Amino acid sequence: MLFLQQVSNGIMLGSVYVTVAVAFTLTIGVLNFLNFTIPTLFMLAGMLAWALSTWGVPTWGVPFVHIGPMPWQAALLFAVAATVVASLLVERFTFRFLKTRYGDATEHAIPLVSSLGFLLIIENLVRIGYGTDTQRFPGPQADMSVNIGGIFLRVPQLVSLVIVLGIVAGLNWILRHSRIGRGLRAIAENPDAANILGVQANKLVPVVFMLTGLLCGLAGVLFAINYGEVSPQMGDDIGSKAIAGMVLGGLGSIWGAVIGGLIIGLTEMLTIHFFGADTVQVAVWGLLLLTLFLRPQGLFGHHSIGKGKL
Amino acid sequence: MTAPTPLLSLHNISKRFGGLAVISDVSFDVSAGARMALIGPNGAGKTTIFNLVSGFYQPDEGDIMMEGRAIQTIASRHRIGLGIARSFQNIRLMPHLSVTENIMLGQQARAGGVVELLKPLSFFGHSHWRDEAQALLKDMGLHTYPGEVVANLPYGIRKKIEVVRALVARPKLLLLDEPAAGLNAAETDSLTGFLKRISDTGVTLLVVEHDMGLVRRLCDHVVVLNFGRKIYDGPTANVQNDPLVLEAYLGPRDAASPAKTAEGCHAA
Amino acid sequence: MSGYWSGILTILSINIIMAYAIFLPVATGQLNLGGAGFQAVGAYGAAFLSSKYGLSVWETIPFAMALTALVSFLIAFPLLRTKGVYLVLATFAFAEVVGGAILNSTMLGGPMGLSVPAFVEYQVPVLGALLVTIFIFYLMATRFGLVMRAAHDDDVVTDLMGVNVRGIRVAAFTIGGALAGLAGALYAHSFSFVEIQGFNASLSIYVLLYVLLGGTQTAWGPLAGALFFTMLPEALRVALPALKGWMGLAMGFQGARTAPDESWRFVILGILTVLMMMFRSEGLITRVMVEKLRFRHHAVRLARVDAPA
Repeated sequence: MLFLQQVSNGIMLGSVYVTVAVAFTLTIGVLNFLNFTIPTLFMLAGMLAWALSTWGVPTWGVPFVHIGPMPWQAALLFAVAATVVASLLVERFTFRFLKTRYGDATEHAIPLVSSLGFLLIIENLVRIGYGTDTQRFPGPQADMSVNIGGIFLRVPQLVSLVIVLGIVAGLNWILRHSRIGRGLRAIAENPDAANILGVQANKLVPVVFMLTGLLCGLAGVLFAINYGEVSPQMGDDIGSKAIAGMVLGGLGSIWGAVIGGLIIGLTEMLTIHFFGADTVQVAVWGLLLLTLFLRPQGLFGHHSIGKGKL
Repeated sequence: MTAPTPLLSLHNISKRFGGLAVISDVSFDVSAGARMALIGPNGAGKTTIFNLVSGFYQPDEGDIMMEGRAIQTIASRHRIGLGIARSFQNIRLMPHLSVTENIMLGQQARAGGVVELLKPLSFFGHSHWRDEAQALLKDMGLHTYPGEVVANLPYGIRKKIEVVRALVARPKLLLLDEPAAGLNAAETDSLTGFLKRISDTGVTLLVVEHDMGLVRRLCDHVVVLNFGRKIYDGPTANVQNDPLVLEAYLGPRDAASPAKTAEGCHAA
Repeated sequence: MSGYWSGILTILSINIIMAYAIFLPVATGQLNLGGAGFQAVGAYGAAFLSSKYGLSVWETIPFAMALTALVSFLIAFPLLRTKGVYLVLATFAFAEVVGGAILNSTMLGGPMGLSVPAFVEYQVPVLGALLVTIFIFYLMATRFGLVMRAAHDDDVVTDLMGVNVRGIRVAAFTIGGALAGLAGALYAHSFSFVEIQGFNASLSIYVLLYVLLGGTQTAWGPLAGALFFTMLPEALRVALPALKGWMGLAMGFQGARTAPDESWRFVILGILTVLMMMFRSEGLITRVMVEKLRFRHHAVRLARVDAPA
């Protein structure tokens, strides 16, 4: 029974990874861009949700602008919106400036490198602003739970899982059936040809970043509610695990990221169950390294994505 | 007539990509010292032949012989040692290296061994290899640019530098993929003279080219490909009168598609 | 020399060596985002020999370098089969596996770290950095350096020129590994203590960033990057109080939360990275720039030669 409980915990934990992994896989699948700001956007959402519900919005010295500490529900909304804005800001300064002049081996890494720059900026600004300590998020009771056949399922986690799966299904539908989705897939297939055929990359690329921000924002606030605490470091671990999940599922595959994220969550919980907490890092990253060496396209990945010179 | 062993000879070469036959049963010889052209409409398989000879692809069937030795299983990086060097349709010089350094890269095949790898290429601005590269650049009239980073140079100059880089490996056979593409008339003239001088030093030239003017002035022998098959193999002078070649470029007499006609006018 | 400056020189030297360790693979076109992992192997190798067997630094440092070189060599074969994003991820994953393995090893102290009895004064890292710098400048002037840069620009053509591109990349990776091992060993002996938390993903990111900021086309780039990155906090000592006040006002912080001053350094590093990628993605010091300076020098010399004639 304890084992089953761990399995269920693994799936719940995996659902957080899934959301972030989908954000990763979306950017890499469409734009061939490994966006390292994703973990910080996740963290930003969590920290902002906490800051808004305890501090309110800074005033910049202007009277009447100050929005005082707000109820946590409103804080969540504001946090997600702010994360989307931050993600668009990242697009402005990273992806827009991709210029390939020589096509040499490291030139394609320009957006990746500037996203590493943004990772440092956002994470450290949050540290400067809110300190490095772990904070308690004053949300709903995180330990409210239902008992199904002896396994305890915490309600907020269950709700998150449903939300996450809904989002992923919706995203998948958008990519397959909507006009925007078709444009995005055209860009993923061949940016030049898409451009010739009238797909306006300049308008569609921000959509990817908006979705990225949205996914990270939701994941961040859901994490804050579920685990009841946030910190400027919370993105590091989740981001790494999400990357592992994405690679496992195959770069560019949304359902791959879902399965991969869940597998990583399960691996983590089961490793803890059988071998103890300290071995998690080795198990997860060893799994990733093996995947990269033996089957780099992952479980469901497309062969060509991410392979281009970088 | 007992001909000597040709320098390069292709025996019944076929190459398919997926279900698409790109080269079907092509055979021809390139004799030592020849100046030969490989022509044909777009998509005829000319560059594929180059890629097969330089080792990017393996033929599905047939043999590629260099001086009587089958080479199709030899790795691409060892082929320059056999005397095969090439240039590319879109110039592929190293953009961040200087002109001299690009030429010195061409010397690599002659400078094997770990010891040569670890000797400095510049000792107070000189070394055996650097001096040789600069002397060759001077010979070819390119000495004004030795220290320039290649990315900053004009197109025509870069085209020549790429040929010199292939040449410095002292190849027996030089494969040139559309050397005149993108050059204006004056530059093409200059290039033709340049290639003739190279040929006079004993290097065999095999040229893929659309500019028939250059082909006529430079090459004595032509192989024409169409849809991956050889349709002509003979002296340059007769190629324009060959009915198969005319049909390939202009289409069957009544059903000439406009695109092909334009292509044909340009080439013939 | 005051303890303050000797401390800075030590850190600077280790950063320079580490920059060159990452520079070598990057110069062949392989982004290595696992620097911390390789450095950790060297640091723990040296620390273990020193604490367990009481060996002197003249024994532990060569051992650490050889060990890290061996690990790099062995991992290079599967690692360099991956390309592009996959390579970045694989190097990153490698560093995490190393970190996790050390964390679980009771022999290596696990999360408690290892204390290192053999201590070196700042002169040793400084000498090390000097030798490594000379070595890299020499290497970049050889045919090996030429071939490395060629493989970065176009590996297909480099192969066609008769170069064993994979061999060159493995060699660059291995030499880089040895240097990372040296940096790690010097770290262990200079600070008398190693703990795996110090060799985290952030370290890998910083090293890669300051190498890329400096520029990877010449041996000057990593030197400039490491110098800048190490000296930045010193420059900030003057500017930081004002900066803090201004930020506090702008963001309306409440409560007395003091962030580590390090954060400011990383914000600035991040901003510079983003700006650099926007406007000068090839890094601060480029080949063209070095060539220009050399030409000017050359022109002066030519003028002198020509003058009497």
